[in-house]
Amino acid sequence: MNRNMKKWLEELRQSKTKKPLPVLSFPAVQLMGISVPELISDSDLQAEGMKRITDRVNSAASVSLMDLSVEAECFGANIVISDNEVPTVKGAVVTSFEEAEALEIPAVGTCRTGIYIDGIRKAVEKISDRPVFAGMIGPYSLAGRLLEVTEIMFLCYDEPETVQLVLNKVTEFLIAYGKAYKEAGANGILIAEPLAGLLSPSMMDVFSSPYVKRIVDALQDENFLVLYHNCGNNTVQSLDSILSIGAAAYHFGNAVSMKDVLNRVPENTVVMGNIDPAGELRHGTPDSVRTAVRKLLEECSGYSNFVISSGCDIPPMSKWENIDAFFDETAKFYQEGVLKQ
Amino acid sequence: MAGMNVVGVKFKNNEIFVPEVLVAARAMNQGAALLKPLLAAEGAKASGRVCIGTVKGDLHDIGKNLVKMMIEGKGLEVIDLGTDVPPEKFISTAIEQNCQIIGLSALLTTTMPVMREVVEAAKAAGIRDHVKIMIGGAPVTQAFCDEIGADVYTPDAPSAAEKAVELCRQL
Ligand code: B12
Repeated sequence: MNRNMKKWLEELRQSKTKKPLPVLSFPAVQLMGISVPELISDSDLQAEGMKRITDRVNSAASVSLMDLSVEAECFGANIVISDNEVPTVKGAVVTSFEEAEALEIPAVGTCRTGIYIDGIRKAVEKISDRPVFAGMIGPYSLAGRLLEVTEIMFLCYDEPETVQLVLNKVTEFLIAYGKAYKEAGANGILIAEPLAGLLSPSMMDVFSSPYVKRIVDALQDENFLVLYHNCGNNTVQSLDSILSIGAAAYHFGNAVSMKDVLNRVPENTVVMGNIDPAGELRHGTPDSVRTAVRKLLEECSGYSNFVISSGCDIPPMSKWENIDAFFDETAKFYQEGVLKQ
Repeated sequence: MAGMNVVGVKFKNNEIFVPEVLVAARAMNQGAALLKPLLAAEGAKASGRVCIGTVKGDLHDIGKNLVKMMIEGKGLEVIDLGTDVPPEKFISTAIEQNCQIIGLSALLTTTMPVMREVVEAAKAAGIRDHVKIMIGGAPVTQAFCDEIGADVYTPDAPSAAEKAVELCRQL
């Protein structure tokens, strides 16, 4: 559904009872009695899964699968698929400057990107009560998957031209991929750039932020927002670089303190985070989740631009009783605040 | 080698980041490789052998690679088994290559239990008394290390390397 997303975001920011916006999609496998491999290979199941989740939880928006293997697979990477975990990449695709030159930019729609775009098209038809965000990997993280994640860190020093060549190619691909999501009716996209969260601020300025910015400039408008996700360790130090991207909102992981982030972000910029998805939602208990939610909200709800979320993608086998507790405790907390006023 | 200690401290304090530590560790290891034949000629030799890998189901390996390079930097030999390594592989490598230490890395809570399997497999293979098991990775804790009966946990690569040297000295 077409929406004025700038307005939606501003309303969310000004709301006194903010709904959470967690990265919640894979646990749909439990609601549907299917496996992860089934979910990632079928657009109908993806749309149905997103719909089931919106029926169950009162989230600010619906977010599609954070599957950071789809784009790399298109470029020829080897994918490891398992029954209960999100798929991942093994090995490098590009091992030299010559191979970087020869690397072809795949057509959008090939491999599983076609399924994921269709999934969004179908989800948008089913979900009308809230915005639908598609998901994709960020440019440095994708380049890292193609060059191998440790190797790319050496290459940034030894052969920056190889890294930049790959970055240019993946950025071109990601822009086309994002446009396809936009055409399919998504209201925005969540770009995950975790690998850049290990870089120093100055390296992030060279190898990640300008490329993400290029994607934002090509995609973002009143009706389509870019959310930037980074669950790396060094996002606080790199905030200036990250904010230069110009995304509509920013999403950070549980490796950093949300309060530290909020203290350094302008109050009209929405910031989301950061309940530990593995420690709490996958392995915690409803009680421990409630305690974590309350602690985070007590610390951060005073910042009008804070929206509670998970620190990263919520793992497929996370307990639904924990996810329900996350939403319930957030609602209770804000309700109590409203009653007090 | 003293330089590497400075790097370790700066990394802990967030003054330098993963790529810088990797580059520094590589420089140090290349330097050490040049010196090795000279030191060997004087009778000094590598004081231990470690096999290291990320456990089965887990493909995160940046931390493991850092630990590996730092241990090498201390003059120990390291056999890198890569990622997604099944317990049997750690055990057979330790036996065949005479390793004093098995190093296990895990970044996923769901793959941490594999560490326990390695400890059990080491017992079953009868090597537990002479092979030490070190574990690490962001979600791993000292409490978990105690619980599964591994020998050493450290929160970062510089301390992992120091501990590895210490263990080899004791053995
Ligand atoms: C970079 C990253 C990735 C990269 C990994 C690339 C690679 N090949 O390594 C990519 C983007 C590919 C990725 C993928 C995934 N990731 Co990831 N990733 C991260 C991130 C941002 C940083 C990890 C890292 O490299 N840190 C830097 C290194 C240097 O630190 P380190 O590994 O902790 O190592 C240090 C110490 O722990 C110690 N150490 C490490 N190993 C050892 C071993 C021994 C013996 C010792 C003594 C010490 C030691 O020394 C190291 C140096 O000081 C973390 C979040 C975070 N902030 O930690 C998430 C994180 C680890 N990922 C997570 C998840 C869930 C995933 C995915 C499932 C996501 C998805 N939906 O696809 C997949 C995993 C697939 C799989 N089966 O492995 C979760 C794990 C949650 C959990 N605890 O279970 C995290 C915590 C994010 C989150 N907040 O939820 N990820």
